[in-house]
Amino acid sequence: MAEKIMTLAFLAVSAIYLFESYQLTFGTLSAPKSGFLPILTGIAAAMLSLVLIIGQVSCKKLEKRGKADWTKFVFLILGLLFYVVLFNMLGYFATTFILLLYLFKVADSENWLAPLILAAGSSTALYLLFQKFLGVVLP
Amino acid sequence: MDVWSLLLQGFYISISPGNLSACIIGVLIGTLVGVLPGIDTVSTIAMLLPFSYGMDSTTALILFAGIYYGSKYGGSTTSILLNVPGEAASTVTCLDGYPMGQKGRGGAALAVAAIGSFIAGTIGVIGLTLFAPPLAQAALAFGPPEYFALALVGLIVLTKLTGTSILKSGLMAAIGVMLGTVGLDSLSGISRFTFGIGELDRGFDLSILAMGVFGIGEILTVMTQPEDHPEIPRLKIRDLYPNREEWRRSVPAMFRGGIAGFLVGLLPGPAATISSFVSYALEKRCSKNPAEFGHGAIEGVAGPEAANNSAIAATMIPLLSLGLPFCGATAILLSGFMIHGITPGPALITQQPELFWGLIVSMYIGNVLLLIINLPLIGVFVQLLRTPLNILMPLVAVVTLTGAYAVNNSVFDLLWVVLFGILGFFLHRTGFEPAPLIIGMVIGPELERGLVQGLIICNGSIWSLVTRPIAGTILSFGAVVLVYSAGKWLYKAGNAREKIKC
Repeated sequence: MAEKIMTLAFLAVSAIYLFESYQLTFGTLSAPKSGFLPILTGIAAAMLSLVLIIGQVSCKKLEKRGKADWTKFVFLILGLLFYVVLFNMLGYFATTFILLLYLFKVADSENWLAPLILAAGSSTALYLLFQKFLGVVLP
Repeated sequence: MDVWSLLLQGFYISISPGNLSACIIGVLIGTLVGVLPGIDTVSTIAMLLPFSYGMDSTTALILFAGIYYGSKYGGSTTSILLNVPGEAASTVTCLDGYPMGQKGRGGAALAVAAIGSFIAGTIGVIGLTLFAPPLAQAALAFGPPEYFALALVGLIVLTKLTGTSILKSGLMAAIGVMLGTVGLDSLSGISRFTFGIGELDRGFDLSILAMGVFGIGEILTVMTQPEDHPEIPRLKIRDLYPNREEWRRSVPAMFRGGIAGFLVGLLPGPAATISSFVSYALEKRCSKNPAEFGHGAIEGVAGPEAANNSAIAATMIPLLSLGLPFCGATAILLSGFMIHGITPGPALITQQPELFWGLIVSMYIGNVLLLIINLPLIGVFVQLLRTPLNILMPLVAVVTLTGAYAVNNSVFDLLWVVLFGILGFFLHRTGFEPAPLIIGMVIGPELERGLVQGLIICNGSIWSLVTRPIAGTILSFGAVVLVYSAGKWLYKAGNAREKIKC
């Protein structure tokens, strides 16, 4: 099922891409323009997605995938998105500390002390490494 | 200057303290990556790209190359001891390595794998030294039609050779090409597929896509899976001596694997993995006792482990001499080059000989270091398998995110890394190979430039485009591969009464 949804998503993306490609100029064979390759690629991607979907619908064989903890997945994504949102507001050090603490807890750390120490130590070390040694300008 | 003088110059560069340290650190990290199942070479290089920002370009590339070829050494450890391949290229090593371990010859299998990797790695680097400069020289005669032909055939062969279905790989490559067209069109200067978002004018950085799909995608996959704790055996140094019979049987296999791996490595696709399977089949065919294969034949360890190391050096040839990466790992190496403002290709060897020859010689040195490091440290690496992932993965996630921000000091990039990470997670879950996506994105602009400029040169005549001697030869090769794979696919589909491989 997930495979079919993924292929459908690719078909939708290809259709949107193709629609946008037609807003560009195709040109001619002797003078191809900016829409030339995008239109050809969009058509190829849409056709491949279509053939794949037809195949997936007619195929009875099911591939077994390993189990995934979907609750943890949602929490991880939320954590990462909040990191992006808070990055400029709170600055690198505070945001990284919060994210690390959050990820350690999401990753099943039982107590609070070890994650707190690890998060504080790691965010300090990473701040020093990137800001001081590698010269990256961090907020 | 002759090749010896250039090699000597490269030697001076690669033994400087900074470069030698980078080589040692690179091969150590590479070995670790190979040992630890679930963490692959491409995602590691993607995650470590930010650490190279403050480095000299040669030092950074020596570090990344070290991780790349080092990872193929370590991959055999878990295959032999735990029946779990550390990375894809070592899958075939499980077939005979694990049975050897069960018979009490695991130490000998590990030693043969390390020595085979050293011999074949050296064969590969010699091949790289001999073939890359003349190919780069020849590539100076290439025009847009030839680059178009190379890029197109690269994509065709790639879709045939990646592990998943041809359709899925083809779709991934097409989506990759689509991603490569986002931003300002380099030929006309028109903004494409940006939806009015100014930040998208510069397009997607290859490193951002790689850090997301491979780095964050991998972290999400590992963190949402139940953690297994396999029993890890103890190993003593004295177990690491192959007996006389094992030596006699494994040495020819190492050389055969080295040569076969090098030839496979020149083709587009995941060369290291394919070469190990090719070598296994070759050893089985050459063996007087093929029935022994699968039950602990030492040639089944020596050949494939040699082949995947030799293939690694060969994959560097198209990257360094043509600027075209034909597998995921070299695509990431290319992003490492690009971060440091270096464009690999025909001009690299003549314009930056110190970088090229420094890198090549570091690979010779790295192979020796790997042999010295690997055998005594196997026990240590095995103990590292006990590293708890619930501590490791959050740290790696934060390093990757920081690195992604540092590429352009952009929170927008940070958001894309997360989104590409989600994409990478679902690609993994649904059996879509992410490597063609990355390669499609790298090759896409080259394909477009070659096609558009080629058609203009040939006055719009497709026939003139494909009948140029070099372009025609390359395209004919692609056509043969395409017709062969289509025929094989239709034949299989007919036999299995399945129209499409699911």
